[in-house]
This record gives sequence, C-alpha cells and structure tokens, in this order.
Amino acid sequence: MTGPLDPIDALLEEARPLPVPAERERLRTAAGLTRTRVAAAIGVTPETVRKWETGVTDPSGEHRAAYGRLLDGLAARYPAPAPPAPESAAPGAAAPAVSESSPARAARESHRRHQQRRTTTTAEATRGELRERIAARVSTELERAGGDTDAAAAALIKKAIPDVMELFAATRRTARYEHTSYPSLPQIFERPAKGEANLIWEARPSWRHPGLRRSPDGPLTVTALDVNAAYLSALKTHLPIGRLEHTTGGGHDRRRAGVHLIDPPAWHHPTAPNPLGDREETGPVWVTEPTLRLLLQLAGPKHRLIETPRIHESWTSGATEALLDGLRQTLAEARTDAIATGDDVTLTYLKAMYSRFVSTIGDSSANREMMRPDWTHIIRSQAFANLWRRAHKAAAASLTVVSIVGTDELHVAGDWRTVWTEGTGLSEMKVKTTPRTGEPVTYTMTEVA
Amino acid sequence: MPHSTHWGEWRKYNADGLHGADALAAGLEAMVTGIASGPDTKRGIAARLRYLTASKAGREAMAAQGISRRALAAWTAGKRSPSPKSRAALDRAYWGLRRQRVVAHIKRRLAREGRGTRIEIDPVDQTRVAPGRRRDLNVRRITLRPTTWATAVDAWAEGDTTGLEAVWDDVMADLGSDGEAYEYVSSVGWAA
Repeated sequence: MTGPLDPIDALLEEARPLPVPAERERLRTAAGLTRTRVAAAIGVTPETVRKWETGVTDPSGEHRAAYGRLLDGLAARYPAPAPPAPESAAPGAAAPAVSESSPARAARESHRRHQQRRTTTTAEATRGELRERIAARVSTELERAGGDTDAAAAALIKKAIPDVMELFAATRRTARYEHTSYPSLPQIFERPAKGEANLIWEARPSWRHPGLRRSPDGPLTVTALDVNAAYLSALKTHLPIGRLEHTTGGGHDRRRAGVHLIDPPAWHHPTAPNPLGDREETGPVWVTEPTLRLLLQLAGPKHRLIETPRIHESWTSGATEALLDGLRQTLAEARTDAIATGDDVTLTYLKAMYSRFVSTIGDSSANREMMRPDWTHIIRSQAFANLWRRAHKAAAASLTVVSIVGTDELHVAGDWRTVWTEGTGLSEMKVKTTPRTGEPVTYTMTEVA
Repeated sequence: MPHSTHWGEWRKYNADGLHGADALAAGLEAMVTGIASGPDTKRGIAARLRYLTASKAGREAMAAQGISRRALAAWTAGKRSPSPKSRAALDRAYWGLRRQRVVAHIKRRLAREGRGTRIEIDPVDQTRVAPGRRRDLNVRRITLRPTTWATAVDAWAEGDTTGLEAVWDDVMADLGSDGEAYEYVSSVGWAA
C-alpha cells in the first residue's frame, strides 16, 4: 500500500520511532477519527489499534510504517504542547485521507456539543437537582397525607434511609474515587455480642468543671448552648476510601485515615475537658482519625497542651475529605432553605436522613447498602472533636467552660455572643431551651470553697 | 480445601484473602437471621423449643438430632432443663431447620424481581506483598443474575463447596480477561 519504494527507505520507514501510546490516542481523537477507520486504512483490526494506543503491543513491519505516517501527519496538524486543546480541534476537522459528507460532519458537531453539555454538569448543578428531589418527596408526602404534617413527617422518616443512600449515590456519581462498600474489616471492629461495644474509643466528651457547683445566687451565669446539626457538620471528615490496611510503628500519614492504637497522652489541665473524652483507663487505646488529628494538633507548636501521642499500630486506607461532602452540602443547603421558610416537615426529614445515615452505614440490618462501621466511628469522633474545638475556642476567648456533654451541648459562663453568632446556621450556636416551656436554659454557679 | 487454582501459588508472595466461593458462602450465611439469644440462655432455649415444637418439620429435626420425645416432654413441662449436650443438639436442630426455611426467602431477596443483585468484590490484601510482586487489582462490581443466585444459594444450603466454586468460576469469567485474579478475594458484599 505504500507503492514502490527503495528497500533501504522501506526499512527506515519500518524502524521509525512512534509517539508514546497516550499521544497516539490523543492524535486520533483530536482528528475525530474512530479506531475502525484507522484500522481499515492500515489494514488491521480495530482491536489491534486499541492495543497500540494502550501500549499493550507495538506495531511492526509495514503496519508500523503506515501507522507512523498517519501519526506524523496528525502531529503536524494537532501539535502536542497546547495543554487542553482537544476541543479546539473538533470543528471541521477532516482526516487526512478521508473526506466527510455533510451529515457526518453535522453528526460530529452535535456529538461535540452534546459532550460539552455533559461536562458542564457541575457539582453545584447536581446539588440543585438533588434539593429539588428532596422538595418533591416532601410535597408528595404532604399531598398523600392530605396536609397532615405529622403523618407526612412520619412517612418521610420511614423512607429516610433508602432516600439518603440514594442521595449519597447521586452525589458520588461524578466523583473521582469509588469507595468500597463492603470491605473486610480488622478484628477490632467486631462486637463481642449484638449491641455491645467494640474496641474503638470515639472520645465522647462528658465533663463538668470540677471547681464549680450550682448555687441559686452564684456570681457566674451559665448558658447552655447547642451546636446546630452536629452530625451534619461532621460529615466533612477524612474518611478511608478502601479497605483498611495494617501498619505498625511509623508516624501519622496525613493522606491516609483510619483507626490507630495510641498511648493516650497525659492531660494536665483539670479545668478543661480532656480531648480524649471521659476515659479513666490509662493503657493503650484504639482511637479514630479525627481524635488522633486533634491530639496531634494539640501537641503541635501552636498549642503544646499535651505530649505527642505514640502510635503503635494503624489500620488505614487512602483518605479524602470529599467523600461525604457533596451529601453534606446538599443537605445543608436544603436545611437552610427549610429554616428560612419555616418548613418543619422538611427539617424533620433532613434530620432523619443525616442522623440515620451515620447510625446505619455500619453494620445495621436496616441499611444493607454499606458496611462501613469505621466510617460511623470516624464521623462520630469528628462530631466530638468539633465540639471539643468549640470548647477550646470559648476558653481562648476567656469564657469559662462549665460543661461539655455528648455531641452538641456546651455550657459556658460569660458573654458567648462575642465568640459565636446566635442562630441556626451550621457555624452558629443556639441557646438550649427546655422542651416543655421553651425557655432558654440558664443557671448560676459558684466556686467550690 | 480442594480449590481450583487459576492463580497458581497465590499465597507465595504473602497475598492474603480467602476463596471467592467461601466469601460468597459467608455473605449468604450472614443473611440468615434468627433467634439472637444464645443456646445456653433460658430465653434462647425457650425460643428454640417454641420454634421446633410448632411444626412437624421441627419435631423431625429434633428427632434427627437424637432428642427423644420423653426428654422434650420433660423440658416443655418445665420438669427438667436440657443438658449442655442436648442444648447443643437443640441449637443444631434449630439452625438446620431455619436455614432450610429461609432459602426461598433469600433467593427472592437476591433475585430482586428478576434484576439480580450487584456484588462488590474486594481483591486480595497485598499489603505484605513486595511492591514489584503486586498485581494491579481494583475493587470490582458485577451484577449476578437470579439464576446464578439460585444456584449459589442451593449449593450453599447443601454445603456443596464444588457447586459454589463453579458459581465463582462463572463470576470470574464474567469479570473479563483479568477475572482469574479474583479467584481469591478479601471480601464480597451486596445489599439484599
């Protein structure tokens, strides 16, 4: 097919260097050629061309000569350096040896436009769509219940688990990493019996200031504050993507996350809560990623509150903070909308979705879509670490931290409004109210003599 | 275990895992739920007796485990409680019958009205394999058809290892050209 050629020239042609495999494919797609057409022109099968382009095999003999000539011709038209150039190549790009009919050209143009439209699906647009889906679900249920908001809320709560899993899947559709849903787990996650605890320490805070006691006419006025949607905020955390892998010794790798066996550092600040939570045992303990990161931060040069914890063993996997971030943002935006419009049904529904997501992605029979107890532990620990950081922030602004309980309760004395804005936003704080009367929870304290 | 060897001496370089057929069996086993109380607790014994005395199949299952009608009468009348040996026999009878009875239900769940259920296959653990010896393996997902599930569940219920291995061979073939690398896995999971 190359015509009569001098034998030496023919050999030179056959020994010509070719661009790297990825470049071969780039050149072909830049010209808008299919593998089938290239294959037909050279006289091989499309599968062979695919192998050349992926580097599985290399062409030889007269195929190499023909393929090389084609690539040289294409390289002249579509030079490599321009970084994201492939789009600009499309309009009117005719292959060297083939002329195109106008319907074929029109088809390519519409294909290009279609592809472009697909790439404009931003995360934000996806979230918008998902918010609409949530709103549609709520209005359907309200309609079915004939406007009975309690009935509608109950029906929505029933569907919260499958719905939130669906939302999660939708937010991960265009994601870079695909997480493992059913990894094999190390023994430390095994529960001795149903409902009993495993070896992981989540560092749940439960602390009261030892030097203060309640007194009706004490000088300190304490306000009970609530963190808004603590578990929703905690969805932004470093989560292991794949199966946890074991390492011993060594330091902490910031690109990985999981659980770590550490020697808990001593805590010498009796008037402040221990970041490791309400733990009386002193020996080594398995903690999760957020707890370890908090401890490392506190041991760092900025704080120097504790000694650096010693890590004995780790079970970790490559981590990303973005895994649940799409879900978190979708739910948070829907929550903001619902609060703005005073829509309690949607709020109840959203709360059921994120809290049940956290509680059932472990080993619950209510949710078989995932088996990641490590994620549940990590998310909970993140909520506790976030609460501890808020207590620290209050103390740094010279408020007196009186008590810190569970995931979202912080009691402080002093003008807390200088530290946080009062409100329902995720970064704001609200005053705890008694359920019956709706009055804000405040009380007075005095120092223990 | 007489597993076929698509991957030759797969443990030679410290890869860790189990055969896909065993992982499949473990997953099916996890789908069988029943009495949560242990076989040695009062509550557990009462629940097992109640289940097994409610039907002819139950009484036959107990008889097959060598539990006499006389002993049964004494237990149900509250005159005696089962000895450790009998408690173990009672437990075997209970789970044997329970497994038989949930087979149809498990098949129906996995068939999902003809759509089948997608499984996630986590490849063998290669952390202890020297970097140069590692195979490039990813987590794979594949949907198994209801007929495949039916074969697998039947094989599992009969304790037929060869049958489960045959199912896993088909799964590997469906995974494509590097399917044989998934003969051994670290876990297999699905939602059903």
